[in-house]
Amino acid sequence: MATYGQINADNLTSSTGGVISPNITSLRNRIINGAMVIDQRNSGGLITNPTNQQYLVDRWQYEATQTSKVNIQQNYNSVTPPVGFTNYLGVLSNSAYSIVATDIFDVRQMIEAFNVSDLGWGTANAKSVTLSFQVYSSLTGTFGGALKNSNQDRSYPFTYSIPVANTWTTISVTIAGDTSGTWINNTNGVGIRVVFGLGVGSTYSGTAGTWSGSNYYSATGATSVVGTNGATFYITGVQLEVGAQATSFDYRPYGTELALCQRYYEKSYAQSVAPANGALSDPRTGIVTGIVTGIAESNIFRFSVTKRTASTITFYNGSSFSTPGQWAVFVGGWVQGATATSALYDNYFTVQVSASGFTANTSAIVSGSWSASAEI
Amino acid sequence: MYKLIKTPFGEISSFVVRTTDNACIPFAPDNTDYQQFVRDIKNGVELKDAEGNQMTPEQITTFLETLP
Repeated sequence: MATYGQINADNLTSSTGGVISPNITSLRNRIINGAMVIDQRNSGGLITNPTNQQYLVDRWQYEATQTSKVNIQQNYNSVTPPVGFTNYLGVLSNSAYSIVATDIFDVRQMIEAFNVSDLGWGTANAKSVTLSFQVYSSLTGTFGGALKNSNQDRSYPFTYSIPVANTWTTISVTIAGDTSGTWINNTNGVGIRVVFGLGVGSTYSGTAGTWSGSNYYSATGATSVVGTNGATFYITGVQLEVGAQATSFDYRPYGTELALCQRYYEKSYAQSVAPANGALSDPRTGIVTGIVTGIAESNIFRFSVTKRTASTITFYNGSSFSTPGQWAVFVGGWVQGATATSALYDNYFTVQVSASGFTANTSAIVSGSWSASAEI
Repeated sequence: MYKLIKTPFGEISSFVVRTTDNACIPFAPDNTDYQQFVRDIKNGVELKDAEGNQMTPEQITTFLETLP
């Protein structure tokens, strides 16, 4: 019988300093797109003055109580990412805005409750988690963020330090599980909100390092990125995992990460094309069949990934046509027609096009594009 | 702003069109765009019926009672 040796160690450390997890699981990192690789909505394009709750790279959302304070882009300004990463989310402050007490500026990710139901938060058996990430800023000092529940009546502000400007810094914050409050689990609702503050007023800033029954987005005294014109804030490698120690970043195959993102957002376009009216010249989408005079319906468009819930569908026209959102159909010649869904579920939808020239039971080629959103 | 639409058979569809971007929003309680739609029309944002007529507050109140 063969005899095998043993490894007796508290942890294994990689050559870049990260601790290699002894417990490899399929979703060790509860954050999706933590390496900021997937950007279906923008395909790497600049987001000038994003609006409140606008999505950035996949799964990451901007929140703001004031307009026109930042620009955001995947790999903004093309600095060298930290070792082991190829992408980051870049924020540029485009004014020197003095925040007031009720202001909120942040980037956040809302983790679906299904993916954190094992944490036991809100019970006596709540597990600790560790949030780790790589951050780079033109500013130095103490920055802040928070973890929050769905109802936003439990929050844990945290701080971290960026000691050197324009240098990637590795951050790790361990958070004791919340034994109080109401935490949604085992549903498709919001499990945990992970918030990185870019400037949060005193009303929504609290004492770091402790759970509170208040709605805090960041920690008291944290640096305001939006307070300095031209300030930058870049972040990547965001990982939230069970346990009291940060482990090496949980790299997943690109296709796996994309599929995880597609539970919340999917598009008919190639990944290199950002959805927009006129973005493609003449995309052949399928066949529609007249069901009554002037109205035709498609067969089903099945999603690549089942969505979190029934999706919002947005239609886009090709560049040869002028009316936004209307698909074109070939009825002896190309004509645009009012386009809407006729069935909407979490796994498929159908399309209804209204245009003259259709009679019942005749078919036609249809041209257009779509996106589906089922974000939390 | 939002607009209801009808099926080819004359029934009110189970989704609403957000006219700013022509997005079709299902009447699904877990859909955040649907949640925003309900908040919006309760707060007075314009809702048109399937014929394109602006609905009155009373009509909207009645309509809200039919939603999931």
